[in-house]
Amino acid sequence: MMDTLLLLALNGLIWGLIIALIALGLSVIFGLLDIINIAHGDFFMVGTVLAWFVLEATGNFWVGFLIVPLICFILGALIQRAVIQPIRGAAALSIVATFGVSLILQEVVRMTFGATPRRILPPVEGTLSLFGIQYDIYRLYAAAFSIAALAAFFLFLNYTKIGTWMRAVRHDRETATAMGIPAKLIYVLTFGVGFALAGFGGVVAAPITTVDFRGGVDLLPVCFIAVIVGGLGNLPGTAAAAILLALMEGVIQSVANPTVARISSLVLMSAVLLLRPQGLFKGFAK
Amino acid sequence: MVIFAAFLLTVPWTIPALINSFWVSVIAEILIWSLFAASANLLFGYVGLLSFGQALFFGFGMYGVGIGIDQLGLSFWPAFGLGIAASMAMALVAGVFAVRLTWHYFAIITVVFSLIFYFLAVSMKWLTGGDDGINFSLPPTFSFGSSQWSFADANFQYFFILATVAFCFFLMRLVIGSSLGKAFMAVRENDVRASLIGLNVYLIRLTAFVMAGFLAGVSGALFAFFGRYASATYMFYHVSGEGLVWAIVGGAGTLFGPIIGTTVFIIIREVVSTHWEHHSLIVGALAILVVIFAPKGLVGLWRETIDRLMASRAERSIPAKVRIES
Amino acid sequence: MSETILRTENLTKRFGGLTATDNLSLNLAGGRLQAIIGPNGAGKTTLFNLISGLLKPESGRIFFRDRDITGLRPHEISRLGIKRTMQIKSVFNQLSVMENLWITRQASQRFLHPFRPASRDNATRERVEQTLEQVGMTALANRIAGTLSYGDVAMLEIGMALISDPKLLLLDEPICGMSPAETERAVEKIRELARRIDIIIIEHDMEVVFNIADDITVLAQGAILVSGDPDEISNNERVREAYLGRPEDEDYIEEAAHA
Repeated sequence: MMDTLLLLALNGLIWGLIIALIALGLSVIFGLLDIINIAHGDFFMVGTVLAWFVLEATGNFWVGFLIVPLICFILGALIQRAVIQPIRGAAALSIVATFGVSLILQEVVRMTFGATPRRILPPVEGTLSLFGIQYDIYRLYAAAFSIAALAAFFLFLNYTKIGTWMRAVRHDRETATAMGIPAKLIYVLTFGVGFALAGFGGVVAAPITTVDFRGGVDLLPVCFIAVIVGGLGNLPGTAAAAILLALMEGVIQSVANPTVARISSLVLMSAVLLLRPQGLFKGFAK
Repeated sequence: MVIFAAFLLTVPWTIPALINSFWVSVIAEILIWSLFAASANLLFGYVGLLSFGQALFFGFGMYGVGIGIDQLGLSFWPAFGLGIAASMAMALVAGVFAVRLTWHYFAIITVVFSLIFYFLAVSMKWLTGGDDGINFSLPPTFSFGSSQWSFADANFQYFFILATVAFCFFLMRLVIGSSLGKAFMAVRENDVRASLIGLNVYLIRLTAFVMAGFLAGVSGALFAFFGRYASATYMFYHVSGEGLVWAIVGGAGTLFGPIIGTTVFIIIREVVSTHWEHHSLIVGALAILVVIFAPKGLVGLWRETIDRLMASRAERSIPAKVRIES
Repeated sequence: MSETILRTENLTKRFGGLTATDNLSLNLAGGRLQAIIGPNGAGKTTLFNLISGLLKPESGRIFFRDRDITGLRPHEISRLGIKRTMQIKSVFNQLSVMENLWITRQASQRFLHPFRPASRDNATRERVEQTLEQVGMTALANRIAGTLSYGDVAMLEIGMALISDPKLLLLDEPICGMSPAETERAVEKIRELARRIDIIIIEHDMEVVFNIADDITVLAQGAILVSGDPDEISNNERVREAYLGRPEDEDYIEEAAHA
């Protein structure tokens, strides 16, 4: 029993790291552009699909970590320019627009990749002895990559010029523009970064989940919950919330079936939303 | 607007005669889903509450009928009543909590609530049939002695659905034009100012939420009767999202917006899917285009066009001398 | 009518580290036009927000005609007859002027009928038309509120405050942003209203304040600096000190003192 608990807990933790990446992408878009991005789950899905294509084309999985986020970044920038910019931030309309984007993404994937779910074999097989259980090596790689990406993102946000600009515009658009920061460009870049993060998460997750054109729909609510529970605009909080959420679900799964685990975490989320809507991690807000 | 109403009234007699009968059931389905979209529209367009939870109440209406007939052996009207009662009760319970939040938080919690029940429905297969759903046979709607009227008769089915949906829209019209309706809009426009003039914003939102739950429940019940089928897939938040999109594209905050939006999307789906399987692309593209070029929805676009036509006609009828002077 | 209309007892409101209202014990008599003035950040609008129930105090109590209204919700306080205008003008932007007034009038009724057409309510129609006349906006009745000039929105707000027969009117910088002509009209209106209704007004324009106020309370940093009638205030050294850095006010106080 302890073994199952440990296994599920580790799985949950690692899955949480991946979701943290995706949720951060959403938080950045949500926080900066005030957009409820219904297509965000599909951004992740596109990441998994692109990972599959890269593998098919090059025979090398690892190179996907470089190529896929790049493609996703460009796609995100294009979507922002073509769809989001013209709406000028009427938040309600962005729902319809991103819904449209979501439909298009899913359908394009269905046309090119097909409707049948497929699996990618992990690039490294085998297990490692960890805390007394045998644990998939690839999942450890996944954890490492996710942590690296998270670290890189926070470094980018805090120590690079563009990252600082992003934070400035999010904090106070008018002052930022008055100081010469090109807000419009930042919006485009932000959306690109958001898509790229989700896409990266997709690549990491591809070998441990199915590649399916509907793969994003399940993930979307979880990301939004992580963003809200972590606190709107609170990036470290979002990451922490995602990890905790997934960890908790994993732990509950050791004693109950996955559906019950899902339901209990949702019930807990409702409680947080109702009692502390500003999120659990107020102290770390930037 | 009166033109639209008249048009809708004449349709049911012409379509069954002109085109083939398959389209009669498509139009019936459009009516059902318009009611669903109207439920999302009532909350979003008139009260300013963005709800992704309407599929939940649709589901309760649908399963009220489905389980009522299949497992409880109810006849038509008791099952209908059960569906409506169940959805309104659920709306009340959910609303008491959800309505305490606003905007993003409200939207998210409606997603959370509807997901909870979606997963419950999927897992309680013995009751709900999960994603596969339950099929059941339909008891008659009216029976007078030896004659029976039931949904097995396609025309009766159509007219019953039309009557019910029309009645619900009529109710909506009354509410929107009433003092309560004006209060809805006040709350939507400025909830602080609304509370300062003496409106109990929480209670008003809750009332709207339950009313919308009623509408969604009726549409769910009708759907169950129509298809003799109930399935958990229709409780997924994505379904709520679709209803919302139809309402916004048609025109949020207008009475006929949901009908127009739903009609457009379902007709595209039906027409295009026979020739090309990727009709979703058109749907997605259309949603984006409408939002960029007609942000007030199709009804809004229509109104603006009429206004512009009236304005230019009025200008042309003013004698040139007066026009120059003004 | 010199009984107390509004009283606060040790009212305190904090925002994080900032104390916006500091142990404030205010006692305002009815029947006299009360003005609350003070430099920026003195806590004037916070006080109004506390009275109208938009904010909850950390400690202290608020009494409206001897009735404890502390902790009541905004709509309950509104139903007691306390109406207010906002510092940043706040009406129902997508509704017309007439609809704004209409819904305000109907909001004070206990029960909002869900099925009877709102427009059939003749009693309300009369009252709305009356109020439109009162604030001089009959010609603008069908204009959408969001398209009005700033001064007209301010007038609409006052109309909305009036239409429900207020027992106490809180006006938060009512003439801010108005043109000189609009200001004159508004000041006249306020003076006229003060004869029938108890009014508390927050204002920055010293000319207006000394013109119409019967009693003035000066707030600084969340507490009462001094209160009294216009003569006393204009001669008060501490008031001038508090306004240091606002030369136009200083000058005016100077002038008023020697008037």
